[in-house]
This record gives sequence, structure tokens and C-alpha cells, in this order.
Amino acid sequence: MRDVSRRSLLAAGAAGAAAGSVALSGCGTAKGDDGPLRFWNFYGPQNSPDPAVQAQSDWFVAMVDEWNKTHKTQIELTYIPQPIYLNGAKLPTAFAAGTGPDIFMVSPGDFLRYANGGILKDLTDHLKPEVIEDFGDSLESRTIDGRVYALPMEIEPLAIFYDVKAWERAGLSEGDIPTTWDATLDAGDKLRSPTRAGLVFETKPGYYQNFTWYPFMWQGGGEVLDKEGNSAFDSKAARQALGLWQDAVRHGIAPTTPPAANDVISGFKAGNVGMWQQGIWQVASFNSYAPDFEYGVFKLPVPSGGSYTTGLGGWTFGANTQGRDPDGAAEFIAWAIGSMEKHSIQRMTDWCVKAKTDIAPRRTALELGIEQGGYDSPVMKKFKDEIYPAGRAEPRYPPAVYKAISDAIQGTMLGGDGVSGAVDRADQSIEAYLKSYKGADLV
Amino acid sequence: MSSVATPERQQDTPSGQSTGGPSGRTGMSRKKRERIAAALFLLPDGIGLLTFVVIPMLLSIGLGFFQISGFGSYEWVGLGNYERMMSDPLFWDSLKVTGIYVVVLVPTLFIVSLGLGLLMKQKLPGTGIYRTLFFMPYVISLVVVGLLWQFMLDTQNGVVNKALRAAGLEGKAWLGEPSLALASVIAIMVWVMMGYYMIIFLAGLQEIPQEYYEAARIDGAGPWTTFRTITWPLLRPTSFFVLLMSTVAAITGGIEVIFVLTSGGPANGTSLAIFYIYQQAFMFGEYGYAAAMGSFLVLIMVLCSAVVFKATKGGRFDDGDQ
Repeated sequence: MRDVSRRSLLAAGAAGAAAGSVALSGCGTAKGDDGPLRFWNFYGPQNSPDPAVQAQSDWFVAMVDEWNKTHKTQIELTYIPQPIYLNGAKLPTAFAAGTGPDIFMVSPGDFLRYANGGILKDLTDHLKPEVIEDFGDSLESRTIDGRVYALPMEIEPLAIFYDVKAWERAGLSEGDIPTTWDATLDAGDKLRSPTRAGLVFETKPGYYQNFTWYPFMWQGGGEVLDKEGNSAFDSKAARQALGLWQDAVRHGIAPTTPPAANDVISGFKAGNVGMWQQGIWQVASFNSYAPDFEYGVFKLPVPSGGSYTTGLGGWTFGANTQGRDPDGAAEFIAWAIGSMEKHSIQRMTDWCVKAKTDIAPRRTALELGIEQGGYDSPVMKKFKDEIYPAGRAEPRYPPAVYKAISDAIQGTMLGGDGVSGAVDRADQSIEAYLKSYKGADLV
Repeated sequence: MSSVATPERQQDTPSGQSTGGPSGRTGMSRKKRERIAAALFLLPDGIGLLTFVVIPMLLSIGLGFFQISGFGSYEWVGLGNYERMMSDPLFWDSLKVTGIYVVVLVPTLFIVSLGLGLLMKQKLPGTGIYRTLFFMPYVISLVVVGLLWQFMLDTQNGVVNKALRAAGLEGKAWLGEPSLALASVIAIMVWVMMGYYMIIFLAGLQEIPQEYYEAARIDGAGPWTTFRTITWPLLRPTSFFVLLMSTVAAITGGIEVIFVLTSGGPANGTSLAIFYIYQQAFMFGEYGYAAAMGSFLVLIMVLCSAVVFKATKGGRFDDGDQ
């Protein structure tokens, strides 16, 4: 037998490990399995004491039950708690092992990763042209080269919520509702006390924090990327938006940690918050947990010389190309929220005005919601008529771009970094990433 | 099988000392049969280690040479991920944070656990209850621990700041400043792990013969002298175990608490290397890069363990000073 040198043994071991990694990770595929299509989501089925959460779970269950009664291809819901769905290893490992769900919910932050990975099924052929027209601009950030890869179920605009009683006690009136950044900081300064934060911005790093910050940059005309896809982050608008959050913290108007351990309703009810930048979904929470609490909502303020906009969040349904029956999954999504059938439009309306408090991403569903009184309350009316219309969809930047901006926000807001240096670093990181980026348009 | 002892069997008994030769029935020497028996006993553990430790580690090292989409596509990049790691300031920052975390956490945990172990060894009333109370945090899910402390450290309404204010001191934003947030995480992890290591120390303390203490007492030794000359030297194997295990736990653990409390913030102030690796893998889909950083972290851990082994002679302490 030939002697084996240590070097050749190590080389063989490394090659074996590398080959084994690839071979093992290819094990298991959803395609060969029988059974219902799996729909992973973070709403249901579940039993919750919170009536709003229960209504959302019931909506999912009813949707799938109705489909299963009328179609041969069966769907099965799998509930995954939201923190695990967002940040856990369950979804990534399932996709890596080839056993990802057939249908799943996709956030804007994850859209490109799934789309560039070839996971998101092109839904266009399952949607009638009038449906695509009905969705209109809502499909913009879910479209690649004119093809639709995910279908939105909701639109969630951001605004500032405020405590009306605290507002009055601080000597502020309806006429003092701020429209500019300076006026907002002044109001926050008047509202704050040792036990009450004047104005709350998101403090934890994450996609959500970036999402809540982007509108302030957009208002000054800033962009992360220009139309050609190059970094445009190094701008006056980005600097002043970072400066706004930094000033709010430095002057003690905005806290460095969220009040009431980030429980928005408890924070307001306990009198710990004057103003809090939040989304339309909090209306449902107020309805459930604090129906008698007197709160108001106003549009995000703008910098001097800027123009109003806000961030529009919201989740989408996507179908897995590597699933058991990608066409069946796409058909289900189109049937559920993307057909011109009455049930499909009504279902979306129910989701946006009964199960949740959202803006419907389809014109017909929004009109139906208005007709059915879903936007009659002053707060929902304000969201629909004033806050939502000039909004912009949450960007679909990939993780490297998100992280560069997140570090700039965190560094300036909480880490004591200078604004200019933070913007430069982020700009360079984004530019460096873009040089090697291969995939669908980022904008 | 016959229950009657055969001559060969008698030869195999411990008293049959000259049994090095081949057995009449199996044709194997006793030494060889003992080796086979030992191997068979070790086999289940060996299979477990191979399946759950060695193979995954080798696979992880292998993955570090690929760019992986997470959806079945693999592209060989050679040392590309390692080169990226070397020039990634966030990775080096996370290693720095980990270094501070380990250097503060491990000695603090050691001292607190040893102190508790010594306290619990005293025959004080209610010792059993206290022992249970100190151990309880260790059995609580780290996610629950994170949530619990999130409320306790709340700037406005948390009990910690309320207590400080009641004492006339100023409350702090415990999770709102990078250095304070890291200190808070360290304090929480000490609270979580101290009960476990207290039990380990307690077991070590109970192994020390009581006669030594009695002799010391007769010789007029005080508590400090007794600790320095009896407890500390005889506890060194336990100390070695605690140091090693807590170092490994500090480098590889705590991710759940970080997730719930800070998400690595503020300003990456609590972004431990293990959190950064998790973030790259499962939140950003950079599996190959994460595997490369993971392999590098393992290398660091092996080096740390080697230093501890070297400094303590493998925890044997048989240098004749005992």
C-alpha cells in the first residue's frame, strides 16, 4: 500500500469536507413529497386572548378552508411566531435544505434575496391584467423587469401618534400639531418629563429601524441609490436626517431605549410617551387594548424646504419555485388576494379593515373598505386621505446596503459618531458592495 | 452460553495474571480483547461525536470555501470568504466586543460562583432554598431571561432604575449606551450562569476531605489561610473545568439574550462575534462567509483552550505542590 503523506491526507480531507458540505446540503427536497402545500406565516392558526390577533388568525384559517373546500390542491397553514419568522433560523435552514414552504410571506427587506436566489415564482401569468392595474403602484417594489414576484396583502404607512391629554397638559393645542422638524422637536421638548419621552424613534437596529428612518431622508430629497443604481447616500438629505435623530437624542427629547420595553400601548397608557413614530397597525392595537385612550395621529413633519412623504410597509405572499407545486401555490395566491372575483376583493378588504387596520393595496379593495365603513373613524380617515397618498414603498435593499445604513443610524443616534463620517463610511460600504452585486435592480 | 466457567475463563480472571497469551476459544490475547471491549464501549460515544461534532465541523469548514445563496447554489471562492473576513471592520469590532465580554464575564462569573459555592457549603439555615434560587435562572429559557430583563432595565419604569431613584441616584439607560448595554448583558449572563457553576464548585468543595480543615483549625489557621492553603489548591481541577467551560460558553453563547435585549446594538456595542456570524448566516443569507468566520472563531477557541490547558497542565495540577 502506498504511503499517504500528511499533506495529501489533509488535502483529501478538505476536499471531502467541501464536497460533503455541498452534497449534504442538497439533501431533501420538497418536490418529491406528497401532501398539502405548506403555507408558512406568522398569523395563524393560533389561539390568542388578543381579539385583533385572533381575528387575523381566523382570517388566514377561513381563507385556507375556503380554498380547500373548492380546490383539489390542498393548503396547510403553519404558524411560526413572528420573531422566529423574522430572525430565526427556521426559514433559512428550510430553504437551504430544499424543504422551504410552498407559500410564504415576504418582507421588502428579504424580497431581493429570494428573488435573486430564484426562489420567488413569477406570478404574472396567474394574474389578469386588470388585477395588475388594480394593484397599481403597490406592485412597484415587488416587480422585476415588469414581472410580479410577490403580491402585497396590505399597506402600512408611518405617522406620529401622540397622547392628546399630555399634549394639552403641555400647553399645546390642535394648532400646534407640528409640520416641520423644528416644531416637532419643540413639541417633544415641551412634552417630555422625567417619566415621559417627548418623541420616540425606533432605537433597535434592524430593517424596521431603517424603514422608519428613510422617510426623513426622502423628505429632503435624499436617496440611498440613484436611478443608475449607484450609491447616492452621501447627500445633504441623509446628513440632516441623521442629524435630526441625533439631535433628538442629544437633547433628551428622544430616548435611547423605547419606553415600556417597546410596548406601544402600555407606554401611552402609562403616560410614558408624548409622541411615537409608529404605523397604522397600532390603530388596531389601540382599538383592542385601549379603546378609551385619547390619542391623535399626524403626518411625519418635514425639514425646511423639504416635501412630505412617509414609508409604506407591508407584507406580501410569495410562492416557492422549489416547492411541490409552484403553479398550484401561485394559483392559490392569485385566488386569495389577486383575482377580480368578489370574494378575493372582499377578503383583502376584510384583512385591511376588520382583521387589521391597514390601507388596502388594491384600488377596488380600498374602495370597498371605504364603502363598508372601514375608514370612517377620524384616525383611519386621516391615514387614508392625508398620510398614505404621498408615501413611498419600503425599499428592497439587500442586507449589505441595509447594514451600512443601519450602522450610520445607530452610530450617530446612539454611538456618538459624527454625522459626516458616518455618511461617508456608509456611502463607501454601499459603493463597494454595488461593485460586486449581481441581481435584479435594487430600485 | 454455558454458565460453567471454562479453564480459559478461569485464566481470564484478574487473579490469573499470566494471561497475555492467546485464548484457546477466540485465539485473541487478553490485551487485544480488552482493547476491543474498550472500543465497543466507546463506540456509541464515538458515533455521536462523529455525527454531531466532527462531521458538522468539517462540513462547516468546507462551506467556508463557497459562496452560498442559501437556495442550493454553491460557488467555489477558495479563500475569498477569509479574505473578506480579514478586511471586514464589523467582524473585527465584533471580536473586540467578544474579547471584552469574555475577559470581564469569565473572571466575574468565576468569583461569584466560587463565592456562592463557599457560602452554600456552610451549614446555614435555608441553604437548600438559596441553592435552588441561585440555580433557577440557569433553567429559564434565555429568551425569557431577555424579556424579563428588558422590563427590569426599562429606563423609565424598570425596577433597577426605580430602586436607584429611591436611593437618590440617577437612573440610567442601561440598554441605550454601547458600554452600559454590554455591561448589562454581562451582568445578566453572570446572573444566568452563576447557579450552574456554583453547583460545580460545591461538588468540588465537598470532595475536599474535612480532616484537612480540622487539622488547619487545630494549627490555628484563619479562614483566609485555610482557603489559600487548602481550599484553593485542592479546588484547582474544578477551577480549571469552570474556567474552560465558562470561556467556551462565553464565546459561543448568549445570542438569545442579545437578540431580545439589543439586537447587537446600540451602535454594534453588543454585537458579539457569535451574533454577527448568526446575523450574516440566517438574516443576511451569507452562509459561506458565516461558515468562514465560524471556523475562525473555533480556531480562536481552540487557542484559548490550549492556553488554559498549558497554564494549568491540562487541569491535572500534578506538579507536586499538592
